[in-house]
Amino acid sequence: MAAEVEETLKRIQGHRGVTGTIVVNSEGIPIKTTLDNSTTVQYASLIHSLTAKARSTVRDIDPSNDLKFLRIRSRKNEIMCAPVRTDMKGNINILMHILILFLS
Amino acid sequence: MSVEFTDESLEPVEFKSSWKRERSVAEQGCQTRDVYTNNVEVQSHEKFDQGVQTDYGGDSYESADSDSQALAEFLHRVEPMVMQCLNRNLKSKAFDGILDQRDSGLESITCMHTLHNAELQEKMQVTDLSWNATGSTLAATFGRFDHEDWCTHPAVLCTWNLDRRSVKEDKPDTIIDSPCCLMCLEFHPVNPAWIAGGNFNGEVILWDLSQNDDLVLASSGIGDDAHREPVSKVHWIKSHSSKRRDYNIVSVSSDGKVLVWKVDMKKGRLKLSKGFVVMSQSLPRTMKVRGIRGDKEVGVTSLSFSHEDSDLFVLGSESGCIFKCNLHAKGSPAGSHLISSVPLCSPVSFTFNPHHGPVHSVDCSRFHRNAFLTAGMDQSIRIYNMLQAQPALTIEPGEGYLFSAQWSPVRPAVLAAVTEKGNLLLYDLRTGHMVPTHKLEASPNKVPVYSMQFNPQMKQILATGDGQGYIRVFRLSEAFTAMSGRDVEVLEEMMGSGKD
Repeated sequence: MAAEVEETLKRIQGHRGVTGTIVVNSEGIPIKTTLDNSTTVQYASLIHSLTAKARSTVRDIDPSNDLKFLRIRSRKNEIMCAPVRTDMKGNINILMHILILFLS
Repeated sequence: MSVEFTDESLEPVEFKSSWKRERSVAEQGCQTRDVYTNNVEVQSHEKFDQGVQTDYGGDSYESADSDSQALAEFLHRVEPMVMQCLNRNLKSKAFDGILDQRDSGLESITCMHTLHNAELQEKMQVTDLSWNATGSTLAATFGRFDHEDWCTHPAVLCTWNLDRRSVKEDKPDTIIDSPCCLMCLEFHPVNPAWIAGGNFNGEVILWDLSQNDDLVLASSGIGDDAHREPVSKVHWIKSHSSKRRDYNIVSVSSDGKVLVWKVDMKKGRLKLSKGFVVMSQSLPRTMKVRGIRGDKEVGVTSLSFSHEDSDLFVLGSESGCIFKCNLHAKGSPAGSHLISSVPLCSPVSFTFNPHHGPVHSVDCSRFHRNAFLTAGMDQSIRIYNMLQAQPALTIEPGEGYLFSAQWSPVRPAVLAAVTEKGNLLLYDLRTGHMVPTHKLEASPNKVPVYSMQFNPQMKQILATGDGQGYIRVFRLSEAFTAMSGRDVEVLEEMMGSGKD
């Protein structure tokens, strides 16, 4: 299983334009990263709270809806955040991992 | 009649004082209680010594434990969507025009400081510059490149901390004296107080600026193991052998040797751990002279390590040749006339199309694994691909000899060079024109500018040093400090790799 994880991450990281990848667990703690320590911690916590905010906005407007993807285009680079619930039962709020990509 | 006087006693009359009262006195007993004192002996008789020190934490970083099953499932679900988005991203033209509309905050390039050491009276040249690990301190070596015999110049190494509120432009913060000319230096990549340098006699020296009296921490000495000619460049590399974060010093010299030094703190010496020598057999056929033995050394003038592959490096030589080398190379061994404690062999794995004169500077790009630039006495800047002998691009500024050239640490398609006519040239390859986008006077009296260094930490700062000992610190405009996406593509196109 671990090998498969690494394989997938490598595939994403190897994509043209991707400069860094972070996987954040539901508590906002980074699980996998390709960036250095301080950057990872900073981005993980900031992006996690931003994603939670964006998600709650989407769900407040329409409770049957959900956030699928969050993309931030800044002047210098682009950040892509993919939050996905990993439990099948549809129990919201638990186990929401986020995949964060940095693009040049 | 006789009068007789007699004594007469009169009744005393008594009357009470009208203004004084009688005082009454009473006795009363009062005393504090006895104070008891005791003598008791108290003394702690056991001692413990405990050493406490913070260690360099570094990059070791433990991420949270994760449920591998959940993570795999998550990645499995998220991957198709992400890949689809990334692919769409590449084709998207949505942000193409946005680059030209950036807000013009700081358009012009300004000269922040003109530093010099007043004691040297403009007699010394700035041979090399280096920024420390934090990017706040600039160090410069002063010496001369033109020697006709023994070097007797009283050279110095000076540092300026530019983050101080009042920078004394004519008086350095630290001055280290040296009996002969210092030719090059480089700050330690992590420790902001350590500087490695090389002098005219071929000695490699390590200084610690945080020491009070004796700043020399270690030295290679002069002998069979050391260089026999002036050291032309020193560079710190990560050590491979140990797991610890050690750094070794690589030095190159005009005697053709490339030496790797290990810092031995206890003995205060630099220990030779590896050595290479560049020999004339590596020269291309057109440059070989008949009758000269193949194991003659070729003087090395410049060095740059690849940012992707830590073993790969490029050497520029006095003959104008540029060599691709590897730290693990096992080329043909050196001739028997070279005596050394470690076996010397040729590091060369490939020779590029040569310059028409000595190469003064080589620099590998941080953004493209195969790109590197060279500049030399033949007045041209060349951009090479590691995989091709012919240069991918040649720029001829027509400004006389080029003494130093470097890639910008921020913009992949920007490079800077300093010239004999005292100018700093900035090229933006994205414009497609081979004329400099900026031409700045880097020398107050228009003498040749010998050295230049981008600040790797504060990326808008650039320092140049000229032939009279004047150092100029420039602040670049925003156009040169903001990263943009198209830069990499321009560089990739030039390298001919296109889409990989």
